[in-house]
Amino acid sequence: MKMKKVASIVFAASLTVAGLAACSTGNKEQSGGADKNGVTTIEFWAAPNPTQQVYWKEVAEEFTKENPKIKVNVSPMKESPTSEASIQSAIAGGSAPTISENINRGFAAQLSESKALVPLDELEGWDEVKESRNMAETMKGWEFADGHQYVLPIYSNAMLFGWRLDILKELGYNEPPKTYSEMLDVAEKLKAKYPDKYLWAKADLADPTAWKRWFDFFMLYDAASNGNKFVEGTKFTGEQKAGEQVLGLMDDLRKADALLTRQSKDPFESGLGIFVDVGPWTIPYWAEKFPELKFNETFTLAAPPVPDGVDTENVKTFADTKGLVIYASATKEQQKAAMTFINWVYSTPDNDLKWLEKTSLPPARDDLTTNDTFKAFFDKNPALQPYAAAVPNGIPPMDNSKYNDIQTFIGQHAFNPVVKGEKDPKTGWKDMQKAIKEALK
Amino acid sequence: MSTKHGRMGWLFASPYLIYALVFFLIPLVWSLFLSFTDWNLISPTFTFVGLENYMEAFRSPGVQSAFFVTFKFLAVFVPLVVASSIIVALIVQGLPKFKGLFLIGFFLPYLASGVVSSFIVKGILSYNSPVNEFLRNSLGLDINWLGSPFAALFVVAMIIAWKFTGYYALILTSGFESIGTEIYEAAMIDGVTPWQRFWKITFPLLYPALFTVLILSIGVTFGIFTEVYQLTGGGPNFATNTWQMEIFTRAFSNLQAGYASAIAIIASVVTFISVFIIRKLLEMWGKRNGWS
Repeated sequence: MKMKKVASIVFAASLTVAGLAACSTGNKEQSGGADKNGVTTIEFWAAPNPTQQVYWKEVAEEFTKENPKIKVNVSPMKESPTSEASIQSAIAGGSAPTISENINRGFAAQLSESKALVPLDELEGWDEVKESRNMAETMKGWEFADGHQYVLPIYSNAMLFGWRLDILKELGYNEPPKTYSEMLDVAEKLKAKYPDKYLWAKADLADPTAWKRWFDFFMLYDAASNGNKFVEGTKFTGEQKAGEQVLGLMDDLRKADALLTRQSKDPFESGLGIFVDVGPWTIPYWAEKFPELKFNETFTLAAPPVPDGVDTENVKTFADTKGLVIYASATKEQQKAAMTFINWVYSTPDNDLKWLEKTSLPPARDDLTTNDTFKAFFDKNPALQPYAAAVPNGIPPMDNSKYNDIQTFIGQHAFNPVVKGEKDPKTGWKDMQKAIKEALK
Repeated sequence: MSTKHGRMGWLFASPYLIYALVFFLIPLVWSLFLSFTDWNLISPTFTFVGLENYMEAFRSPGVQSAFFVTFKFLAVFVPLVVASSIIVALIVQGLPKFKGLFLIGFFLPYLASGVVSSFIVKGILSYNSPVNEFLRNSLGLDINWLGSPFAALFVVAMIIAWKFTGYYALILTSGFESIGTEIYEAAMIDGVTPWQRFWKITFPLLYPALFTVLILSIGVTFGIFTEVYQLTGGGPNFATNTWQMEIFTRAFSNLQAGYASAIAIIASVVTFISVFIIRKLLEMWGKRNGWS
């Protein structure tokens, strides 16, 4: 009988604990003020990428030497199951860091909507960062719907398309096509000469996973619409004409049997496909794994093709860009110390050069192609030059907390079915628009 | 039961009770609470939305697909894994020596990570893999393994069946071992055919082990995730979208903790009811034939 009572008490206690835990907001303030020696410790979560971790560790050590009152603990962000989820659970569990990098604009929108981020523009020293890093222009595209800046972009990978120049030359072209009709012409000639090759061989084209749209639909859409915002606040502002043109191109390529949407091994590298979306991170990978791929010999890089009649200069493209945020759960001292650290890091272009050398990811600054600090690096790495030049044309992801749903709908209702020939472009756009508008309500 | 014995019983059961309390009961209560809110775990505020998450889940194409896909997997995976584990157990049973060694060999895939096996299968099934090159060039077969709904479902079921065959074969082998040789000897004297021997002796006596394998494999069907996540992402067109995949997407991609909890609760209820019904049917089948 007694044991029954004990068991009942344990059971009731567990429910109470669970209930109390449920009432917690999870947004507890960190206890990290200055210690008795006046040292403020800040936690910095680096991207789960060895080169980025090494960079931040080195920079943090140098910073602490010059600023002994601030200690920066750099640790890798967990990716289990995703880096976003690990940040979510850390915030919920009251163990969020002071700063983290690797935050895209969509996720930042989710975090800022939940009041988990500090508006950087409200912190002392923000204007100095923008000025000393020469990033006023880049930052304009990062303003959020509420007028604040929550993310400091570290790098901006304005995505480009790779073309197999060797195969293009065999088809009679010395440079990549710039417009849709030129692209279709290439596709036609390719299929006539090599029926087993494809213009674009990529399984992701038929996959509705949200982030995959950054590297096909948005690259083409940003180019076709001159960087039109797809969603503003809670309004769908996608440009119908540009969207239908993009879907029309995919439909035409499908009809020409120029798309392979099957899983294949190294399709571009093996020449199965001659066109592929390429980020700057691919260049060192190719240099190591596929040394036979030589820039401007075997392959070349180009801005996305545009619909006929659209200006082919300064073509906009999607920018895979991520940055730093400061968490609202950090103490005021930590937030201040974090801004001091950021200010110190970006007070000199040498730290951006070090970043570039370690990661090959173009720093998000306006003067990348004009600042002499970077000249020697780009002279040594010519394949990364087009990325530096494209930084001003990079359009970051949308700042909407429902970006995952929205991008899934683009794939599910428009892009994937058009690529598979299940829908015509107009119907695809209409269905997608309806679903997105419903989600934004 | 005396008080002393009762205390001892509680003492021995306490590690599991504490484990169950911490890792099952508290998360269950927590999840139930979350399922009635719109909380994303980050926001300082949340709203109780009542049954809204549940209503939305019932209307969602993702949840509807998860429900049906699980039963499709059940129809493909369970017969596949049960048949293959019986075959493996029979083969091992017939070996004169090193039965244990062979069983370990078959058991190894069970220990392999789903990520690794999916990665290997992805390579084997890629468009320009030697297997597909051969099928295309020699036999004129161009199969879109992961791009067509049935093929994708079949491929995932095959990988999981490959993984679990050795484990279930181990259970069935112990079932075979428990059947006394004297029964077969008596049957031989009575002149039974090999077919009769299997259906009239082996199968009925193996039924308890087979019952375990069936229930375990049905349980596996409701928890499929890694292979689907790695190979198909739930596609094409939701054809392989399982409960776990849908929960993962909602909770960790869309950060809708409340909504994902509601799906998890629905999935648990569906799993419990399904397994309960199938178990009862299997028990009835066994009892009617006098096997259990």
